[in-house]
Amino acid sequence: MLKRELKVNLKSFLIWTGILVLLFMTVYLIYPSIINSDNIKMIDEMMKIFPKEMLKAFNMDIASIDTAYGWLKTEGFIFVLLITGVYASIMGSTIVLKEESDKTIEYLNSLPIKRSAILTKKIICAIFYIILMILIVGIFNLICLTLSGTFDIKQYLLLSITPLLSALPLFAINLFISTFFNKTKNTFGISLGITFISYFLQILSEMNEVTEFFKYFTVYTLADVRNVLINNSINFEMIIISFLLTTLFILSTYIKYNKKELV
Amino acid sequence: MKDKDVILEIINLKKYYGTIRGVEDVSLKLKCGEIYGFIGPNGSGKSTTLRTIMSLINKTSGTILINGKELEKNNLEQKKLIGYLPSEICLYDDLTVKEMLDFHESFYEQNISKRRKELVKLLKLDDTKKVEDLSLGNSKKLGIILALMHSPKILILDEPTSGLDPIMQNIFYKLLLEEKKKGTTILYSTHILSEVSKICDRIGLIKEGKIIKEDNVENIVKNNITYLTIESEDIEKIKKDLDLNIISSHDNIVKFVNNLNPNVLLKKINKYKIKKLLIEEVSIEDLFIEYYK
Repeated sequence: MLKRELKVNLKSFLIWTGILVLLFMTVYLIYPSIINSDNIKMIDEMMKIFPKEMLKAFNMDIASIDTAYGWLKTEGFIFVLLITGVYASIMGSTIVLKEESDKTIEYLNSLPIKRSAILTKKIICAIFYIILMILIVGIFNLICLTLSGTFDIKQYLLLSITPLLSALPLFAINLFISTFFNKTKNTFGISLGITFISYFLQILSEMNEVTEFFKYFTVYTLADVRNVLINNSINFEMIIISFLLTTLFILSTYIKYNKKELV
Repeated sequence: MKDKDVILEIINLKKYYGTIRGVEDVSLKLKCGEIYGFIGPNGSGKSTTLRTIMSLINKTSGTILINGKELEKNNLEQKKLIGYLPSEICLYDDLTVKEMLDFHESFYEQNISKRRKELVKLLKLDDTKKVEDLSLGNSKKLGIILALMHSPKILILDEPTSGLDPIMQNIFYKLLLEEKKKGTTILYSTHILSEVSKICDRIGLIKEGKIIKEDNVENIVKNNITYLTIESEDIEKIKKDLDLNIISSHDNIVKFVNNLNPNVLLKKINKYKIKKLLIEEVSIEDLFIEYYK
């Protein structure tokens, strides 16, 4: 069954990973022509116009976009976080629920397989693809950055792991939410909503002290890019919280799914 | 019925979806090698009963026993005993028939490929086709093969012949009778009453979530009820005298539901001038309509 899950979900994995890789490929190809000494001056002037809060929200106060790595640390990583988050959320909201939505659950449930085993195989498949996506994008960027110039490799490696800390909880939360529904069309919007609202709250929380409390309501706090850029390390607490959140929602899914009415 | 012969037993099954009734009170006992016709109109609770047996939905109360042991949602040994064909068969569209059968086979430890080949040949199914390209009838055939290929002890079939052509239906009936000979118990839910009298040993009629009649097919069909049509100039007197339920009446012709003994009937109508007299056996379809009026 795991083999089938991997096969069924391969296409969407390739599409989402392809989007990210193509995006970065385009940026790396055109970046050298955009960034030259004249443009850098212009960009620096432009940056001065932006409010400090905004620059902080996009890490532009601690990193400059005058190199490809600089761009990755600021704008580029927004795409990594958002796209891996959206992919993880969609996987969470559809991978189990699809069987009910397509009405194939009536057949699958008649087979000698426990509900928990169905769930386990689907979760393994989803987590495998989420990790693989982050890994592929990470390796691709590593190769391109190596070709384009010097960069802090330790910082980059730590940076490339951070999307996992937000993507896995997003997957688990959406997986749990999906157990309350019978059709994927009902959960698709919710999964996208959760991802984008989470990201928006994270930006708000970075802006000033008044809005800082929003960090408690978003999983993107866990992907603490700013800490990596400033301290060259991942906050261990964030790893623990991410792991606990993922585990909590996955365990809740097992309990809920075992009691669920499947038709 | 001796309890040791009973393979599937349902005791006072009740299922409510919130406040909406699915099944009110269903009790059944199916013995080994029996074909049990489960009949009822739409919304009577047939599919709900079958889906509860399959643990797709949770019962509100009641007990389901398989071989005397309470049904458990995740009991794989119990699951292996059951073959299930839902009324609307939905399978993995991206697979070919062969891949679908391989997928199914991978869940069973015992070698079931011999039975698989026999069934594919018998039902004349092209296993190179993609599931999404199958017609309704061929999807049904695939569903039948999937339900039967692991040689289950209990077969649960929900409207299995819808979509099958008459030739294939006959092959299917033969197949079920062979399974019955092997000792397979079949719970057969259907609307098509002619097939019930062809293959079922017993019938349970379900109405508004309750079993309202359960008996052998012969007893249900031959329960001394006939249709009686009389044409006479004395028809008004005959109506009063017989005091039977009237199905139709026009001019001097009346059609009754007759439950009188033939001798009593003849004695009663002997004194009247009868122009035409017709006594017909009641079909299972007519009985069905009578029960669900």
